[in-house]
Amino acid sequence: MTARTPGSTGRRLKSPPGWPWILPALIFSVGTLYYCIGYTGYISTLDWDGTSPLQQSVGVENFVHLFHDPIFWRSIIHTVIFAVSTFVMQVVLGLVFACLLHSKLYLRTFYKVLIFIPVVLATATVAPVFRQIFAADGVLNDILQAVGLDSLARPWMANGAFALIIVIMVHVWQSTGVTFVLYYAAVGQVDPETIEAARIDGAGNLRIIGSIIWPSVRGTTIAIAILTAIGSLKTFDIPFLVTGGGPSYATEFLGTLIYRVSVSYAQVGYGAAISIVLLVLAIVAAIIINTGGRRGERADV
Amino acid sequence: MFEIRRTSTRVWLQILLSVLVIPFVFPLVAMVQGSLAGQGWGNYATVLSLPLLPGFFVNSAIIAAAVIVLVLICTMTASFGFSKLRIPGKEIFFWALLACLTLPGVVLLAPLFATVTRLGAYNTLWAVIVPVAALQVPFTVLLARNFVDGIPDQLIEAARVDGANVLKIFWHVMLPLTRPIIAAVGVLVFINSWNEYLFPLLFLQSPEQQTVTLVPSYFIGQYNNDQTKVLASAVVVGLPIVIAYIFLQRFFERGLAAGALK
Amino acid sequence: MFPRLKHIRAVLAGTTVLAVTAMTFAGCGPSKSTSDGGSATSGTLNWWSWTPDNDLAEREIAAFNKVYPNIKVTYKKINSDQLAAVLRPALASNDGPDVFTVNASGSHSAQAFAPYAYDLTPAMKKLLGDDWKSKVFAPGANAFTVKGRLVAAEWAKVGAGMMWINQDMFDKYGLKPPTNLAEWKTLCATFRSKGLGCFQEGLASTSSFGTDTLHSLVNNVDPNAWPNALSGKGKWNSPAFVTALQELRTLQDEGILDKGAVGVQQYPDVNNAFLSGKVPMVQMGTWYSQYATNDSLDAALEGAGVPAGSKKVTIMPVPFPDVSGKGIPMTVYSDPDAGQAVNLKSKHLNAAVTFALWLGNTPEGAHVVANNLDEFPTLKGKDVGPQWDKVSLVNPKAQLSVLQAQEKQLEESTAPRNIGMSAEVSQALIDAEQAMVNSSKSAKQVADTIQAAADSGQVH
Repeated sequence: MTARTPGSTGRRLKSPPGWPWILPALIFSVGTLYYCIGYTGYISTLDWDGTSPLQQSVGVENFVHLFHDPIFWRSIIHTVIFAVSTFVMQVVLGLVFACLLHSKLYLRTFYKVLIFIPVVLATATVAPVFRQIFAADGVLNDILQAVGLDSLARPWMANGAFALIIVIMVHVWQSTGVTFVLYYAAVGQVDPETIEAARIDGAGNLRIIGSIIWPSVRGTTIAIAILTAIGSLKTFDIPFLVTGGGPSYATEFLGTLIYRVSVSYAQVGYGAAISIVLLVLAIVAAIIINTGGRRGERADV
Repeated sequence: MFEIRRTSTRVWLQILLSVLVIPFVFPLVAMVQGSLAGQGWGNYATVLSLPLLPGFFVNSAIIAAAVIVLVLICTMTASFGFSKLRIPGKEIFFWALLACLTLPGVVLLAPLFATVTRLGAYNTLWAVIVPVAALQVPFTVLLARNFVDGIPDQLIEAARVDGANVLKIFWHVMLPLTRPIIAAVGVLVFINSWNEYLFPLLFLQSPEQQTVTLVPSYFIGQYNNDQTKVLASAVVVGLPIVIAYIFLQRFFERGLAAGALK
Repeated sequence: MFPRLKHIRAVLAGTTVLAVTAMTFAGCGPSKSTSDGGSATSGTLNWWSWTPDNDLAEREIAAFNKVYPNIKVTYKKINSDQLAAVLRPALASNDGPDVFTVNASGSHSAQAFAPYAYDLTPAMKKLLGDDWKSKVFAPGANAFTVKGRLVAAEWAKVGAGMMWINQDMFDKYGLKPPTNLAEWKTLCATFRSKGLGCFQEGLASTSSFGTDTLHSLVNNVDPNAWPNALSGKGKWNSPAFVTALQELRTLQDEGILDKGAVGVQQYPDVNNAFLSGKVPMVQMGTWYSQYATNDSLDAALEGAGVPAGSKKVTIMPVPFPDVSGKGIPMTVYSDPDAGQAVNLKSKHLNAAVTFALWLGNTPEGAHVVANNLDEFPTLKGKDVGPQWDKVSLVNPKAQLSVLQAQEKQLEESTAPRNIGMSAEVSQALIDAEQAMVNSSKSAKQVADTIQAAADSGQVH
């Protein structure tokens, strides 16, 4: 996510106008998408069931209601837990895989493909598999019993904390492939001579990862942080399909809350209000991480 | 990256790698195993014998191809413009585009839908192609602009000195140099549009126009899902993307490597 | 993590919002069909619904075509949680289905889609006479009448109140179905000692599947409490509810209700566990009779991944045990399940009306619906039930008489199941049950939250 100051070379001023070049993208995406935001903003001020011709304007009442809604705050907490833990796990796994697969090991392409396959599969198609693995009579409990850990076996989905962990694990499973590919690319760009020099100074593998590779891939890490923050706020399909937001709202996220409110309860105005708050949070999160990350970068120099 | 001096180190690292990969493979194995439960390969036979199945594949392929073309046109022109041309206030436009990245899908559907029915695009492939493409452009422009930023301005200048106009520069200088990012964007967009589920469900009503992602729903019953065939169809639908990724993996990584998200 | 990647399903959440816009731009409301509606006995129709499943629909259409060979019907089954989303753009466009199915309440209710539906009153009067309402199941006729217009023709109802047992498992250990709490407890201890489960209900379900056990427990304390609370005459935190909620906790504490109920869904989890012989007892309703038939059970077992050629289970409905010990007999409670609506814009309007009415309101149509043993016809009369000689049961000797008795109970049932319940109260009931089996809140506290949801009209 870089924004550069325009016109680094004076000669560019002579160039012909460039706006026709960006027009297709702007009309195509920005036009459509901003129209959507405006429309949702309008609905968020209504009390409306979505079908009746009666639309009652309620001003900011939906937003006031939102801030008094305990389920909303729980969703926010889940989102934060989800964002932090998936970020840490993806970064660690992604970086470890990237470093391992840059080493001279056998069957590297094979491993790469295995790590990436979960990314290309639609959540809807893998959700039933996870439900089955973590079911009370599922594969995980079978394995635990087979190795004599019967006492650990339990109905995983029935426990709020475990249900949230399951949602997090499924997400990590599905998106580590992406962080891996990004880190793999970034690690490949680290200057081999720097590493060689460090080795001559007697640095071990872990030391090299910590003091050379980790700082060099900082930009990638920031990008992953931003994408994780935004992605966490948008989380919907995994909790919806794997745990249904339950048990007892233990895996409720903003996305599932919006679905419950606007589809199940037909409180469309309230659902739109949550959507708007979600949008604001996503933009704020992106800006905070981006500026924070940049400040850190500068401090390093 | 890890230095391997001794065979034992290599063995240990190989074991470490394998152990770490197991959790990633395990659900895939469970999926394939599930798809073979009960009727065994008969599940696949049932899925593959759906009379409309070839049509579904064709439709998905048409949609994916059209989306890729649309996204690439928008992405490559925009990234060229943003990166190499003079546009007053262009960072504002760029951020306006990036802000769309943060848009939850939730917010988008209502107006997109209104437009579709208004334009009479309901029940045509366009109703899927256009929104799917529009949703991808912000991210692909971000990727591609970073890549194009890495192309030295001098190359463009040199071409200009030789008397080439902007169009020629784009065609003869830009595009050949950006092949890796084109491949990366192509794979990414292919994955997304092939997996697209909701728009085909909502906007394509006749069976002749539906896509592969709707295949599992043939086996989802009112009370009970035919789990084995749902999984078998998931494998059938997922296989083309996995194969596409395997073949294009090199380009995909190079594209990301060469500038994306630095 | 790529932004695409997650919107695929997330957008589902926008479906209602989307619907809204649809109506705004489609000009909000009915637009009159200009043609005369075409022939009533020929044409091609598209029928969209979440019920029944494809194989049953094929049988129904085939029976219809015996009477009307020139009306070709194409069935498209859409998952019930997606139907509302799919229907709205379709009905707003000119390419929508000719016949679509609506429910008595919920997201795809007659109320929600009334503006798109043709008024079936005149056709119904023509078919059944001016006193047609007395010839069908009244709650359905009322639920499908919106502002004086008959939006959909009802066709079937379902009931609950009983539970189902796997007779083979009972026979294997020489056991009898429980009639009270003490027997149930002993029975479950026996099953558990064999490494099996005992009684399951999926409390993670979002539909009414998750409230039937509680409903049965309430009825066993006071049969009027649930209907009264539903109609607003009574309270959801009345003593009968407090007692029943406490009993639900007891069922789990005494090892009757399998642990982890809040983590399983009725379908597919509970259903698969039962049909594959892992659990001897489940909470299911009259629709479960279909798995007493060879065709439906074969399909269900195949779907559950049971190897081909395995022995088919004999399932039997039994009365819900007298948990309270008050000796109050089981009540069968029932709701209209669905109705067929005709799209105002249908190009074959008259043929669509013919089909929509035929399914549930003619003896031939009622029979074919009844023969599937999934739903019971809402048309009243002597000769509308299942034609038992045409139904192939897994174990006719054991099942036939029991199922016949059950159909009779359903036919005569007058108590409502969940009709008219708001989504908020429905969710509050599920939340309450989850709280009882998964927390230490008192039954009174929990019952109060249900009533609070009913009072505020909102769950939070």
